[in-house]
Parts: sequence; structure tokens; C-alpha cells
Amino acid sequence: MLSVPRNTPFIKKVWLWAVTFFIATFVYPTLVYANPIRLWHAYRGDEEKALLEIIKTFPGGKIETLALPADALDSKLASASLVGEGPDVFIAEHHHLGEYKARSIVGKVGDAFEGEGAFIVPAVRAVTDGDGVWGVPLSPKCMALFVNDDLAKTPADFEAIGELTGKLPQGVFPLVYEARNLYAHAPIFGAFGGELLGKNDQWSFIGTEAETSLNLARTFIAKGAVPDDANYNILKELFKAGKAAFVISGPWLAADLSDAKDLRYHIEVLPNIRGAGQPMRPLLTVESAMLTKQGAEKPEARALAKWLASREAAQVRARLAKTLTARSDVSIADGDPMLRVFSEQAKVAIPMPASRAMQAVWDPANRAISKVIRGEAPPDVALAEAKRRYDTVRRPPPDAASPTPFLIVIGGILLVLVLYWVRGAKKGDFTGEVKRSLPAYAYVIHSVVAVGLLVIAPLTVGAATAFFSGNLFGDTSSRRFVGLANFIDILTAQGGALLTTGSFYVVLLVTLLWTFLNLFFHVTIGVSLALLLSKPALKLKAFYRVLLIVPWAVPSYITALVWKGMFDRQFGAVTGLILGLNDLFGFHMEPISWFARFSTAFTANVSTNVWLGFPVMMVVTLGALTAVPQDVLEAAEVDGATRWQRLWRVTLPMIRPTLAPSVTLGGIWTFNMFNVVFLVSGGDPDGTTDILVSEAYRWAFTREAKYGYAAAYSVLIFLMLFGFTRWDEWRKKRADDRDRAVRAKEAAA
Amino acid sequence: MASVTVRDLHKKFGETHILKGVSIEVPRGKFAVLVGPSGCGKSTLLRLLAGLEEATAGTIHFDDRDVTSLAPRERDIAMVFQSYALYPHLSVRENMAFGLKLRKTEPAEIERRVKQASAMLGLDHLLDRLPKQLSGGQRQRVAMGRAIVRRPSLFLFDEPLSNLDAALRSQVRVEIRKVHDELEATSVYVTHDQVEAMTLADVIFVLNKGVVEQAGHPLDVYARPATRFVASFLGSPSMNFIDVELARDGGGWVAAGKDELRVTFDAKGFEKGLVAGKQVTLGVRPHEVELFSKSATYRTTNERGAPLTVSIVEALGTESFAHGKLGGASFVARLDAAAQIKKGETVELAFKTVHLFDRETGQSLRDEA
Ligand SMILES: Nc1ncnc2c1ncn2[C@@H]1O[C@H](COP(=O)(O)OP(=O)(O)OP(=O)(O)O)[C@@H](O)[C@H]1O
Ligand SMILES: [Mg+2]
Repeated sequence: MLSVPRNTPFIKKVWLWAVTFFIATFVYPTLVYANPIRLWHAYRGDEEKALLEIIKTFPGGKIETLALPADALDSKLASASLVGEGPDVFIAEHHHLGEYKARSIVGKVGDAFEGEGAFIVPAVRAVTDGDGVWGVPLSPKCMALFVNDDLAKTPADFEAIGELTGKLPQGVFPLVYEARNLYAHAPIFGAFGGELLGKNDQWSFIGTEAETSLNLARTFIAKGAVPDDANYNILKELFKAGKAAFVISGPWLAADLSDAKDLRYHIEVLPNIRGAGQPMRPLLTVESAMLTKQGAEKPEARALAKWLASREAAQVRARLAKTLTARSDVSIADGDPMLRVFSEQAKVAIPMPASRAMQAVWDPANRAISKVIRGEAPPDVALAEAKRRYDTVRRPPPDAASPTPFLIVIGGILLVLVLYWVRGAKKGDFTGEVKRSLPAYAYVIHSVVAVGLLVIAPLTVGAATAFFSGNLFGDTSSRRFVGLANFIDILTAQGGALLTTGSFYVVLLVTLLWTFLNLFFHVTIGVSLALLLSKPALKLKAFYRVLLIVPWAVPSYITALVWKGMFDRQFGAVTGLILGLNDLFGFHMEPISWFARFSTAFTANVSTNVWLGFPVMMVVTLGALTAVPQDVLEAAEVDGATRWQRLWRVTLPMIRPTLAPSVTLGGIWTFNMFNVVFLVSGGDPDGTTDILVSEAYRWAFTREAKYGYAAAYSVLIFLMLFGFTRWDEWRKKRADDRDRAVRAKEAAA
Repeated sequence: MASVTVRDLHKKFGETHILKGVSIEVPRGKFAVLVGPSGCGKSTLLRLLAGLEEATAGTIHFDDRDVTSLAPRERDIAMVFQSYALYPHLSVRENMAFGLKLRKTEPAEIERRVKQASAMLGLDHLLDRLPKQLSGGQRQRVAMGRAIVRRPSLFLFDEPLSNLDAALRSQVRVEIRKVHDELEATSVYVTHDQVEAMTLADVIFVLNKGVVEQAGHPLDVYARPATRFVASFLGSPSMNFIDVELARDGGGWVAAGKDELRVTFDAKGFEKGLVAGKQVTLGVRPHEVELFSKSATYRTTNERGAPLTVSIVEALGTESFAHGKLGGASFVARLDAAAQIKKGETVELAFKTVHLFDRETGQSLRDEA
């Protein structure tokens, strides 16, 4: 290594150190780690072990792996590829390909793909489109039929499962699947030959096949063969508890059943549907090795992708992680019936469309399915509505507008500001004043910069987004300036009826009702409790106080999830309570499907948020009450006020000024209370309980990333709240002015 | 208007016994003043009258009505608090009208009474202000106004002037008395202030440690204090006390103390209590002395005066206070400024009046009037 010779002049020594430092920190590492292949994945546990094992034997060079949480992979890919820091190879499910292509993240795999013969047909279809092959299939995943051996045997067909109704022990469902979810409904639809997306990404979950499939699902629900509100957890628990003869789910359920030792079950390929004369065909997702644009150009990266999909790799994976392979030439060990079933099932499965448009399918489709199986709408109506929703989201972006008028307006405003400033500068000793106040600027500059960077800049960028459509960052090829088109679209409900579900005005009404009700209960409950707690005679006061602050201390999303759980129709505490009351008093109350109707879903949301919000009001009131002097209350007592009159005419008016800012602030928070709405009702039923912020969120994150549209929503929210606070200030100021005027008049008199 | 009769009233806060059998009697339309040292229970007694505290034992009657366990609003009283306790969110007008509104008085009648009271108190131009926009004196008057408009059968005042400066205090004091005379309302007034007590009261109650030490017309109480405590509490500067022994001196009596103090005094009014050789306390008010002069004749006769060795002189213009030692006790004498007393001098004093108190019990030896 370098050593510093003695007796060199000081300057030379410094130079030498600097060079040494530079080499040690920047040059040396790059030399040593010259271009390893970067591989990103989201594996954990056995699957990660298998991957590392496979890499160990890779002959083609050094590999640097990075394991990411599954939901972080997407965003990390997007941001890293911006700055050229992305991986060469990454492993993701094939249906993201549309998105990755649109964002120019992936490249074609080229010679990494061994050829169609090496993989099962659906897997090849999954990674291929008109342009070529975009991923190397590693492992397919789809749903199959889980059979509880103690309750049932292989069914003749799907309808035969329904016919088990009433023939099973009390409380056992013949079949459990996530009936409201398109993914779980797809096998039925698939049996009737339906496709989720047309050739040009048009909506095709409509027509006779779709209606027949929904009618079939509806008959199962209607006769009680299937619970209508099962989610994955419910499904799992029911199956574990022996309350479901059959369930339809994927390999992940098998992993989750490993701790249910008493459960005897096996897995089978999904049965035929009698009415269709065809087997049920689940959706197939194919985990694939993909190459980024930069990776696609490196032979060693392509070699790695090929290696990951090789026969040897498939065997390692099957051995270590029991992972199914997409290869057609790897025989499955006889010891693993589960892998064999899933492999059989995969062969008839339908690859999930990889198109980006698929993102816009889920939400409307799920809503339509929910409506039909709950009997709220006939299939044709529900599906037509879903198609309309999809088309709204998929509408082509507004025409590009000329930015000139905007630039002129903004330029004009700036000009006026500059002129104003210049005029100020001309008057008097401007430079002298600036010089004198320089030290003052030194004190505030850091906070000005911080606020500018952290608050003003994002706000401005966010607001500016509202005038664009397409991607603002990253791949900006779709970006264009659209002027006020987003706002006009929102305010005219995209040309539809102004008061339909999901229109801006209806959502605004819901938001206002939401805000008002919440504030009302926050204040009444908070103030009442504070009044009780401030009673001097109350024992254990400190204890209650702590207890009542707890709802506030728990993070709101945890509370929201807990409340959502309590409102669950099958297992929720509320249902438990109803059943308990029934048992006790012989009532015949039905458990309530809280999220099936607007009124109940909204009630659930409001209850949750009231629970979260009253402690703040209570604490503020407790503080305010200490400022109400005892002797004023006694004066009122002597003046003849009853307890009630003292409360209404003295205590409340006196704490009002202290409470007012909290109420205003609470109003703004509630107006924007995303957590509760999103987590408790999630907009159910049918988006009716969404408020403005959660609607904005949906436009940004679940409806094809319409950021401009979402930003326009946010700007509208901002303007409304801004207007409201201004109005509030103005009202207060007017009251003050009137006060002052009274005094001035007296002084004059 | 109502008379107030309190009989054997007791009040305990937990284990602490604050009022230990208080009985007072205020005739209709009279102005009663409660005085006493801090913490003796004056406010407590007033709050019991108001109904803000509950009596532990004893009774309170307004006229013949037993109000002991009634709520404040059933007692028909008005109270002026030391802190004024105005409603901060209400204007002066609304503050005054509050009690009437609660009683559903006609709006026109309310307006009339508020007008009248505000005219009486000079508040006309302040009616639309909030309390925070008023000076201390104005607030005090609003508090008075709030009481007046109610026309209650009893007014209660708890040190209403203690937050005002001296000049304002004497001005408002006069106003209060004026208002009282105009309304002829029965009033009970708590104060620390001697001057207020003496000038306002028709009848004064001196409270000490939870009992009434003496009641009566203020001048009577001042002239004939029933106990050493009352004597020391009323009057400023406070009465001088000297330990003496009683002896007969021919037909009269003499009180002999240290430093060759010999005070001969007229036994009239003391007949029963005097016993030769008894150790008693001699009380002399600073205002009841003058420079001894051979030519003058005194009710307390003596061939020479009582010698006061002066250590400090406070000259106040027309009068001077000479502080020093007399008969082995510290002593204050009020003398004419013209006398030109100097520090270090010894002057001979003649006592115009003497008070005698039992050394043990503190009771006055004077015969009951
Ligand atoms: N609510 C209470 N609880 C316990 N003790 C009390 C209470 N109110 C008053 N006291 C006690 O009773 C005694 C008399 O109080 P009160 O207020 O009547 O005195 P006061 O004569 O008005 O004194 P001041 O001239 O200082 O106002 C005091 O020792 C006080 O500490
Ligand atoms: Mg007091």
C-alpha cells in the first residue's frame, strides 16, 4: 500500500493523504467490484435460500443480490431505473409487465429464453406479446381446489358442490372462496370461455358468459352454499376449523395450513362446470426473471436470467422451497402430490392479462361482483355500470392545451409583483434598509429554506401536476399540459349526471356530512366526558382520564383495522354481541352486513372516527375548564341559575373561545381523514362512503395513475379548506372590528 | 327586605372546625359588617348565608323562613364577590340582566331596572362593553349593579373593595352606603378594613377563631370592647396593653406597673370586677392620651403623668405618633404635632380613658352596659 515518506514538506504530505483517501474511497471499490450483475427479488425464507443456492452454481460471474419487500419492488424499480441504479435482472410476476413496459423498465429477454418448447404453454403466453418475449418464466401460480377429507370427496362437478347444501353438519359451508373478488371469480368465468380484457384492452367482463358466471355464483350464495363476504383470512380460518368442505385458493394457503395438524385435506384440480361443459380455469400468474433495459444488453445478465429458469434451478427450487416450475421438461417427484396438482392446474389456467389496463379492471369488476352476489343488481346492470366505470378511467387523456394563456397569466402576476417590488425599492433608502436587516435574514434563512424545500416546493409541484396528464416524472413521454381540463372534468362529472355515485358533488356532500357528524360527536362526547371528569367529587379521576385518552394514543390505522374487524359480519364483535343478545333474550336479530349498505357502512366509519377523535376534544375541554373560575359559577348560582343553566349559559360560552380553534382544526382533519375511510369501509359499498381525499387517492393509485386528475382533486380540496379558514378568520375579524367600533363610539361620546 | 337570624352555626371542613357556634342577628334593612383577622371564617359564614356551603349544624332564618338547607337560588339573595366574578362573555348590560332573565322577568322591566341601576352607579355609557374592557373600579360597580337589579331581600358583600386603590376605595365606600340607604336593603358585608367597618356598619360583628367575640354598634364596640382581642383589633394604631396590678388608693383605685407606673383611675363602670392585688392588663388607645399638665383635671387623676421614653417619632403633619416604652411595655401615643417631641426624650402622659382586661381570660372588667 501507499506509505507516506518521512521528511516531505507539509503541503506534499497533505496532497498525498488526499490522493490516498480518494483512491481508497472511490477508485479502489469500483475496481474490486467491477460490474457485478445486480439481481433484485422479493423472496424470503426457503425461496430465498433456494435462490442463493442457484446463484452459487452460476458460472457466469459475480452477482450482487438485493432482497426487497414485495410491495417495495415496484416503486424501487421505478425510482432506481431513473438514475441508472437499477438491477440488471429482477424477479417479478408477469402481470406487471405492461406497467414495466410502459415505464420503460424492462427490455426483451432475447437469448435468455430457451424456446417455447421448454415451458408450459400458458407460461409462455404470459410473458409474450406481439412485440416479443419480455420475461423468462420461472414459476406459475394459480388456484386449485382444497378438499377437507373428513367432510367430502372429489365432487363430480362444480354444481355438485352446491348440492351438498344442507347435507353437511350444522355450520359447515360446502364451499368457501373469496366470492367478491374477481381473482376468485375468474375460474368460473373462465369455464364459460370469458376473457377479462379484449384485444385492444377493451372491457370484456360483460355479455352472456359473464352474466351466466355471475348468476351461478349468485345461486351458490343465495342458497347458502358459499358465504358472501369471505376474505382470505376468513377462508383460511373456516377451512382450518373444519367449517368448509371445499375451498378454492392457491399454494399460499397450503403454506398457511402447515400448523393445522388435525386437518386432513388434499388438493385437486378444479372441477368442471356442468353448465359450461368445461373445466374451471383459474387465473395464472407467472413469476418470471425479467431484464431491465441495461440488463438486456449485458450477455452475462441474460445468461443469469437463463440460468435462473434452467432445469437445474427448477430442481433446486422444487427441492428446497417446493416451488412449482414453469418448465415442461422437469418431472415432479412422486412424493409431492401438491406440486403435481398445481402443475396440472397451471396447464389449463388462463394467464392474467399483463396489460396495464388490467389495473383499471379490478375495482369496477369487484364492485359489480359484490352487487350481484348480494342481490343488489342483476348481472347485466352491474356489469354495464362496471364497464362505464372502466371506460371513464380509461378515457384517453384530455387534449393538450396551449400553455400560452397560462404563461401569460403567471408572467403577468410575476410582472406585477416585480413592479411592486421595484417601486418599493425606489422609495427611500432601500439598499441601506436591506443592509441593516441582513443580520435578521441570517437568523431566519435556514427555516425559510427548510420550509421552502419541505412545504412550499412539494405543494407547488403537486398543484402544478393538476394541469398535466400522464407521467410527470420518470418516463415523461406521455406527459402533456392540459390546462384546466382536469378541473373541468371533475366539476362537470366528466359530462355525466352531476349527482351520480362517485361524482365530485356527491363525494363532496358525503364529505361534508362526514365532517359535520364527526365534529358533532367529537365535541358532544368530548365535552360531556370532560365535564364529568372535572367533577371534584369523582373518585379515580386520574385513572379514567388515562383510560379515555387511550383511543388517541393508539395509532389510528391500528384502531381502524380493529374496528373494521369488529364490524365483520361473520366474526366481528358486533355480530357476537347481536348473537349474544339473541341467546340471552330470545331476540331474532340478524347479524348486520355493515359494509353492504351506505347507511351502515357510513355509521361504521363515523363510529370509528368518533372513537378516535373525542379524546382530543376531551383533553382540550379539560384544559379550558380549568380557566372557568369557580366564583363565576357561584355567582351564577346565586343569580339563580340551575345546574343546567350554569352549563349552557356560563361554562359552555366561556370555554367556547378555547375550543373554537380545536374545532376548526378538527374539522380540517376530519375533512381529510383518509385512514379511517380507507381502512374501515374502503369506500364500500360501491364507493359511496369515499370522501374527497380517498377519492383522490383512488385516482392516483388504483385507476391507472391519473396523477394529474388526483392532483386536481387535491387542489380543489386545498382551495375549499383554504377558503373555509379564510372565511373563519374573516368572521372573527369582523366580530373584533365591531367590538372596536363600539368602544370607539363610546370614546367619542 | 328580610332580617337575618343565625343560630349556633357550625361549619367543619372535614376535621377542621371553622365556625364554632356563631349566632348573629341583623334587623331588617340594616347594614351588618363582619370583621375579623384573616382565616377566622368570615367568608365561610357569608357563603353559608348565600347557600354556597352547607351548614354542619345550626340554623339560618331570613325573617321566619328557615333557609338553612335551601339552594342559593331559592334564598333570594345577591352577592358581590371580592373578584367581582363577572361573566366574561357577557356585556355589562347582559351581566346585570342575567339573574332577571333566568327568573323570566319581562324584558321591558329588565331594561328599566338595568337603566336605573346603571344610572345610580354611573355605568350608562359602559353598558355594551365586555368586562375585560373595564377598569377595576368599573368592574366593581358592575358587580354591584348586578346585585342591585335583582332587588333581593339580602345583599352579601365579600371584601368588595379590597382590589381597589385607596382613593377609589373611599369613594366607592360612600357609594355603597348611599345605595344601601336608597334601597334600604339588608346587607351583610365582610371586610378587613377598619374604616369600612366603622363607617358602613349599623351593626358590627367581630369574629375570632370561629366565634363572635362582640356585636353591636361600631362606636359602642370601639368605645367598650368586650375583650382584649376586640380592643386590639379595632382602632389604628392598635390599643396599648400594659401589665399592671390593681390596688386601692383611698376611695379610688390605682393600677401599678413597672417603671414606677401608677395610674389612678375612676372606678365608675368597673365596680364589680375590681379586686385589690389582682393582676390585670391595662389598655390605653394611642388616641386617648395627652401630655400631662398639672393644671388640667383628668378622669384618671394622678399627681404626675406616666413616663414614656420616646424611641421613634412619626410626624404626620397635624399629629405625631410617639413610639417608646411605658410601664415595661411598648407604647404608642398620638400627640399634637405642636408638642415637638424629640427622639430620646421622656414625656409624661395623661390617660383620658382606660380599659381593663382580665389577664387570663382577656374579658373586659367593665360592667355590662
Ligand atoms: N373548602 C374549604 N376546605 C377546607 N378548608 C377551608 C375551605 N374553605 C375555607 N377553609 C378554611 O377555613 C378557614 C376560614 O376561611 P375563610 O375563607 O372563611 O376565612 P376569612 O375569614 O374569609 O379570611 P380572609 O379574611 O383571609 O378572607 C381558613 O382557615 C380556610 O383555610
Ligand atoms: Mg375571605
